[in-house]
Amino acid sequence: MKKYDVIIIGAGNGGLAAAATCAKAGLSTLLLERHNIPGGSASSFVRGRFEFEPSLHELAGVGSSETEVGSIEDMFIRMGGDVQWHTHDSTFRLVVPAKEGDKDTFINEDGVEVTVDARMPVGFRNFAKKLNEIVPGSYDSCMAAFDLSTRMFKAFECLDDPSKLPGSLKDVPDIMRMTSHTMKEALDTLGMPKKAQDIFNTYWCYMGSPASQFDFLYYMCVLHSYVKNGTGIPHMRSHEMSMALDKVIRDHDGEIWYNSEVTKVIVKNGKPAGVVINGEKEVYGKYFICNSYPYAVFKDLFDKNDIPAKQLKMLNARKTACSLTTVYLGMNVTKEQLGIKDYSIFIAPDSDSDKQYDAAQNYFSNYCIINCLNEIIPDCTPEGTCQLFLTTMTFGDVMKDIEPKDYKKFKTKIAKDMIETCERALNISITPYIEEIEIALPPTFARYLNTPLGTPYGYMLEKWDSMLPRTIQYMSDQPFDNFFFCGASQERGDGYGCAYYTGEKAGGIVVKKIKGGK
Amino acid sequence: MADLKSLTLKKFIPLLSGRQARFDSAAAKFPDFSDQASVIAKALHPKRQYLKIAEVKEIAPDCKSFTLVPDPEKGTKELAYFGAGKYLTVFETINGMPATRAYSISSSPKDSLEGRYVLTIKLVEGGLVSRYIFDTWEVGTSVEVSAPSGNFEYQPLRDAKKVICLAGGSGITPFLSMANAIADGDEDFEMTLLYGSRNYECILFREELEELEKKCDKIKVVHVLSEKTKRGVKGIEKGFITAELIKKYAPEDEPYSVFLCGPQQMYEFVDKELEKLGLAKKYIRHEMFGEFHNPSTQADYPEGVPEKVKITVTVQDKTYIVFGSSGDSVMQILEKSEIPVPARCRSGECGFCHSRLISGEIYVPKHLEYRRLADYKFGGFHPCCSFPLTNLEIIVPAAK
Repeated sequence: MKKYDVIIIGAGNGGLAAAATCAKAGLSTLLLERHNIPGGSASSFVRGRFEFEPSLHELAGVGSSETEVGSIEDMFIRMGGDVQWHTHDSTFRLVVPAKEGDKDTFINEDGVEVTVDARMPVGFRNFAKKLNEIVPGSYDSCMAAFDLSTRMFKAFECLDDPSKLPGSLKDVPDIMRMTSHTMKEALDTLGMPKKAQDIFNTYWCYMGSPASQFDFLYYMCVLHSYVKNGTGIPHMRSHEMSMALDKVIRDHDGEIWYNSEVTKVIVKNGKPAGVVINGEKEVYGKYFICNSYPYAVFKDLFDKNDIPAKQLKMLNARKTACSLTTVYLGMNVTKEQLGIKDYSIFIAPDSDSDKQYDAAQNYFSNYCIINCLNEIIPDCTPEGTCQLFLTTMTFGDVMKDIEPKDYKKFKTKIAKDMIETCERALNISITPYIEEIEIALPPTFARYLNTPLGTPYGYMLEKWDSMLPRTIQYMSDQPFDNFFFCGASQERGDGYGCAYYTGEKAGGIVVKKIKGGK
Repeated sequence: MADLKSLTLKKFIPLLSGRQARFDSAAAKFPDFSDQASVIAKALHPKRQYLKIAEVKEIAPDCKSFTLVPDPEKGTKELAYFGAGKYLTVFETINGMPATRAYSISSSPKDSLEGRYVLTIKLVEGGLVSRYIFDTWEVGTSVEVSAPSGNFEYQPLRDAKKVICLAGGSGITPFLSMANAIADGDEDFEMTLLYGSRNYECILFREELEELEKKCDKIKVVHVLSEKTKRGVKGIEKGFITAELIKKYAPEDEPYSVFLCGPQQMYEFVDKELEKLGLAKKYIRHEMFGEFHNPSTQADYPEGVPEKVKITVTVQDKTYIVFGSSGDSVMQILEKSEIPVPARCRSGECGFCHSRLISGEIYVPKHLEYRRLADYKFGGFHPCCSFPLTNLEIIVPAAK
């Protein structure tokens, strides 16, 4: 019977990157996916005359004139994946509508009374200048933060070789300081005014953890990339990125089997030896890379006696990160007719990110991100139309009081609340022009991603379990010496780039174990 | 720069040992936590539902209603709830050949909570699957179906409050479910049903529809009969569903939606009539009409297509060579060669049969074109609505 060098469970972003890495290195590679298309979250779907992007808000570091080492585009170039990129010279716009009793409010360009309306540009200096315009006296602290993140990226290279750690990190003590302190501690120390911090922290929701929890280093990774490079998007929704990697794998004689769900991991002599597919077919391999979540894997694929105790302890010690609710809208008018001028607008009930997090503990808290893809790809929908997607996040089991039979009505209610929040905050009218609508709640993500609570974000990156310690302890966190996890559940949490990174890294570990060398 | 040095470095090393200590002190048992999101996902989208036939009713000489109930012995304890308008895909094996068909659920969502779905199936002339169902499905027969699927549902944020529903023949089934849902209070819109039948005797569910109309003032039923009728019966229109007729029943001063479900010929006729009304696209919604046949009748079908084609198909680690007629879809050719194909809607829409075209050319009727942009770039296609124009080399996912 054929025994593969490596079997990869799940063709999400991590699994695709892992399989491409292994296949390119000449390993006999089998990628198994329970769905009929690759990508997991990185996909697309068609409703009427619209093709929607299901998950991607923005990529940092694609389509710029100089491709950075370690960027997503760099990975696609190295892999040989053919993707057409679009870029946009903006980061985000934060709009905080005024509440009763708010002081320092003003009427913004849309005629809405707000406490904050910050449209932030690309480029460290531009960003700092703009922040300084809105909050005088914030320029120096903003530049100081970017200076730290610039040095941090240089120091990152040594992170990819955990054997050097933590010794070599002593040469870059700032990194250890950055990961040992929260955003607030660090920005306070740099002397950034509170209001500027609020704007600075706008991307906190991309982390899946509140700003009081994640460390300065982790957040700066994200903000630095977006401010440096602006927003990038693939031309054909993220389905193009996944299909491009699928092609790379096949072109290097890797096999991909779709509709092929791993229903059991076969353990022999205390180690994974093979998998059962769709409850009937067995295949064997030397190494395994798993893009599925530890929770789902140990719950459904392993005999209880075969699960290492540490894995159970890890599951109990960690908190599942947030889940999302997304409303996809195909509009029968253009973005100009709607009055939308930005790609990415964050509408928040309060400027303080910790208060935003507290509010998000309830189902819908008037926190909503609205994206208009036509702003970046003008012809991504037929003439005279545009597409929008609205996103909000939730923490914990927010569905606990909802029965399956009430789900459809609940879904519509949440979507209505989100649409109306955007209408009010931007003083525009959306509802009359909806030609297509699809609504995804945590059960939707649970269905497609098979993650606990429907999270696409992995485990909460709390301060005690943040990116740097996860990276340093990656090997000892793995359940067997021939079984490696990749994807959002691992060291970098959610995000396309993070998932590709962990997949490529896991693939690299297997290649090294089989072929030796670096 | 501000005083970064004031942040202590000592916090870092304990971070590593602290993390391990945190894991060490946690319980070594499988975590048990409430996860209603996954519960809902599994309840509404089971991979398969194993059912039994509890009742068979002949509602017309060529039309039967089958009541399906859970088969707990095979693992289905309760039925998946659904939104009115959804369909079930039925999985059958006919003389060794895997076959699937999608049928709209004609019963109400509420019935499913009491463990009942009704599928109303019309015998199609020359139809393989409907013939098989008519011949073999009886009380006690086991039936395997998908989760409720499809997008033909009322959506209050998109559709108008008033909906003109245009049904032809057995296309009444999703509307019967919707009407029941309105009467049960599970859907909230005003339905005017223009239901086209050949003659009075051919009308399916006439009495049920009458009762619903009586019970609920949000439902109005108008029969449109193409053949001559005996007498003037109240609520009956003669002829076809035309623009004029729709106008007659449509509200004058507010927007309305039009929902269509019926045979291919009805869509061809009614779509032209709808154009005259100049409705915005968002107000017109079609249910799929099932499998498409005879591609060569289409204006854009190319000339000189060979009658017989060879398909080299890889499924997981097996490769087969099969031959078939270019008049059949790729899916039909594979099924006739007894190769199971993942199939659901058979109309291109659901994307479940998404496969890979390695070489060769296919024809896809325009109105069944649901490929994604990147599919064109990388060879993704849907075998259920793709017709071979040349010999093909394809990769198809496992049917599960």
